[in-house]
Amino acid sequence: MAELIKFSKRQTQVAAVKVERREQYLAFTLAGETFAMDIRAIREVIQFGGITDVPLMPPFIRGVINLRGAVVPVIDLSVRFGRAATAPAQRTCIVIIELEQGEDTLDLGVMVDNVSEVLSIGESEIEPAPAFGSGIRSEFIAGVAKVGDRFVILLDVNHVLSVEELSEIIG
Amino acid sequence: MDLDAARQTYIIEARELLEAMEEALLALEEAGDPTEPVNAMFRAVHTIKGSAGLFGLDGIVHFAHTVESVLDRVRGHQVALEGELIGLMLEAHDHLGGLIADLQADQPESPASRLQGEQILARLAPHLGGGLTKAAPQAPEAPEGAVREGWHLSIRFGRDVFRNGMDPLSFVRFLGTLGRITHLTSIFSSLPQREAFEPEDCHLGLEIELDTAASRAAIEDVFEFVREDSLIQLVPPNALVEDYLRLIRALPEEERFLGEILVAGGCLTAHELSQALAVQKQEARQEGARLLGTILIEDNAVPPPVVAAALDKQKKAAERQTQELRVIKVSADKLDRLVDLVGELVIAGATAHARAAAAQGGGGLLEATQTVNKLVEEIRDNALSLRMVQIGETFNRFRRIVRDVSKELGKAIELEIHGAETELDKTIVEKLSDPLMHIVRNAIDHGIEPVDVRQARGKPESGTLFLQASHEAGSIIIEVSDDGGGLNKDRILAKAIERGLVRADAELTDNEIINLIFEPGFSTADAVSNLSGRGVGMDVVRRNIDELRGTIEVETAPGQGTTMRMRLPLTLAIIDGFRVEVAGASYVAPLDVVIECLDLAPFLESEENHLINLRGEVLPFLRLREVFRIPGERPRRERVVVIQHGELRAGIVVDRLMGEFQTVIKPLGRLFRGARGLGGSTILGTGEVALILDVAQLVQLAAEGTAAPSRRALAAPTH
Repeated sequence: MAELIKFSKRQTQVAAVKVERREQYLAFTLAGETFAMDIRAIREVIQFGGITDVPLMPPFIRGVINLRGAVVPVIDLSVRFGRAATAPAQRTCIVIIELEQGEDTLDLGVMVDNVSEVLSIGESEIEPAPAFGSGIRSEFIAGVAKVGDRFVILLDVNHVLSVEELSEIIG
Repeated sequence: MDLDAARQTYIIEARELLEAMEEALLALEEAGDPTEPVNAMFRAVHTIKGSAGLFGLDGIVHFAHTVESVLDRVRGHQVALEGELIGLMLEAHDHLGGLIADLQADQPESPASRLQGEQILARLAPHLGGGLTKAAPQAPEAPEGAVREGWHLSIRFGRDVFRNGMDPLSFVRFLGTLGRITHLTSIFSSLPQREAFEPEDCHLGLEIELDTAASRAAIEDVFEFVREDSLIQLVPPNALVEDYLRLIRALPEEERFLGEILVAGGCLTAHELSQALAVQKQEARQEGARLLGTILIEDNAVPPPVVAAALDKQKKAAERQTQELRVIKVSADKLDRLVDLVGELVIAGATAHARAAAAQGGGGLLEATQTVNKLVEEIRDNALSLRMVQIGETFNRFRRIVRDVSKELGKAIELEIHGAETELDKTIVEKLSDPLMHIVRNAIDHGIEPVDVRQARGKPESGTLFLQASHEAGSIIIEVSDDGGGLNKDRILAKAIERGLVRADAELTDNEIINLIFEPGFSTADAVSNLSGRGVGMDVVRRNIDELRGTIEVETAPGQGTTMRMRLPLTLAIIDGFRVEVAGASYVAPLDVVIECLDLAPFLESEENHLINLRGEVLPFLRLREVFRIPGERPRRERVVVIQHGELRAGIVVDRLMGEFQTVIKPLGRLFRGARGLGGSTILGTGEVALILDVAQLVQLAAEGTAAPSRRALAAPTH
């Protein structure tokens, strides 16, 4: 992490002053690390529970849930990042994300340790994804933002949850 | 003005009519009485032309008019509809279809299409005999010997004509195609004071003199879309003064004013008018005690039989109208929404029932929920039946394809259809038409031999293709069979080895060899023909059928033919399920495949080979726990659900049997496309998601892997 921070600081100085546009991001934690996702893709956040296992699936598929009559798959983001499976605890949540895949949309649940806050982040505060150092595949990261004195990894939802790629792994 | 909605209706209607026309044409090719098919075609083209006129679609009117004229001569036995003319009519049909497609895509007709149209018209011209009349066909209802000219039309458009998306001008334009408009007066007298004026109201009236040979019905048809809320009066040529009088009486405007219009149009002389009005005044003073029909008869204006006939006709027309009303067109989206909602209702009903059963002392409540659920079940059946359509229409489409393709290949092929009235879900029918197309084309292209080969083999010259549909225990069976050469196993195997689909030393059963045709990239056609043989086909068929939760099997005998048998669920939405539990998780099997349930221990034949002995019948079984690699200990008392799929039976070993319930199938979605042994999911009364077993795959797994099911079954490719 230390390397990452140094790297990011250098980048901040390089970034020129742009017209400031602020977007909102939902911040959440996974094994103590803070991530954020563009809030426009997020439909709702629900409490973890009532999940049904789907047999013969790779470990990052936790199962399916009933979301008001619709059956929605749930992904364990931590496993997707090549880390240990998330152990359900009291504050474990499922973030429901609406993905646009070609012409249709697909609802997908993402299991996270807890959801902390909604961040408003300006374009100038976002730096490009570091090529190394985060331990997460770089195409999953849309950028890194400094919020207060913390660094938050902004996820590229379309890459992290690419249905093409996920179903290839499953099939 | 927004005509889009009306235009959309026109496009849908035209499509249906074109379908009817094609069906009629193909029916003509088979022997039988040609009268009805010809009439059907004539009606179809006539209506397409008529409605096109309303929208000012001159291209369609122009083209359809010639086609209609030729058909009219056919109807009048002046031209025989056979051989070349049938082909020409099919081309004309296709061209009309193209014009309608252009209309839907909202693009102008391409020059190429226009040229093609002109060519078809030119080829139709010799069949027109004495030449093209500008007018519509001579309607049979027109009285013999009557001088057919000089109709007088009084039209008062309804208030809502604009709101309904109609353009009064289009009617006038279309009238122009029936004949010549000699005089037209527009009437605005119903226009209100400025304060009360609503710009969207229509206050237009028209008085038209029309020279035409068209029948009353034809003229009335022009106003079909506005007939209901508009006042339309027709006075035939050479009408009596009384008729005009009656017209004047029926119209809302002041008499004198109307009279003047009639005089201006040349229907009446000024003298006749003043006479007529005088008579009318007189009658009005007599309190109008006599009905108009009576006046006419008593005055000897019309002989009684004519009136009786007219009344009879009116009654018949009314009856026809009510019959039409018995059929309502509903958009498929609305039906889908309804079925979705009923699905939710089924789940909610199950929840309520489960809660009532769990509640203490809820005897009355339980009874009530039972009643509710019974009703919900009925609603479900009714809702689903709304989406059921007969497969006949889909089958009939193949008549054309069989005809065209067999001509192209120089083969003689007859198509026989059985079970056209079999009903199944519209969604399934729609998704079935592509795979059926592939199979039929394959049968024509590869299956049925050319005439010389058939002769050499001592078969009838003409090959036969059968399309059959029937019901069997909650499924529908669709068969496509031919009496052709059958599948050549050696060639299939050789091809599969060449394509690297199987190893050269692989030992395969006959069935396994035949199923190789469903592998992606497989094609045995020596020459890639225009129709099939591009190596896409049977694998697509298999995938489409899989998506419908169906199966396909092949039966073939060398030299005798091939049968492709597809087994499909009746509906995709709701099933009766049988719930079982493994390690606390619920799984659902469709109830119609469950034969019986038993304890494993007393029936166990061989644990090692995974066989049970069911009263002398040895069946393979598999443990869901093992197939799905569910961790945990097996319970002491294991249960078996005996399931049957097609010819195959197998046992599925589970922990507990939970009983039957009704459930809505929710697809698992694209993410789980590769999921094995799972056909979908459903929501239980508790709100939990349960997975639905794909029985076909499980039975196959059980049959393949009797020695070590979990491993071999999972490794064996079925696609």
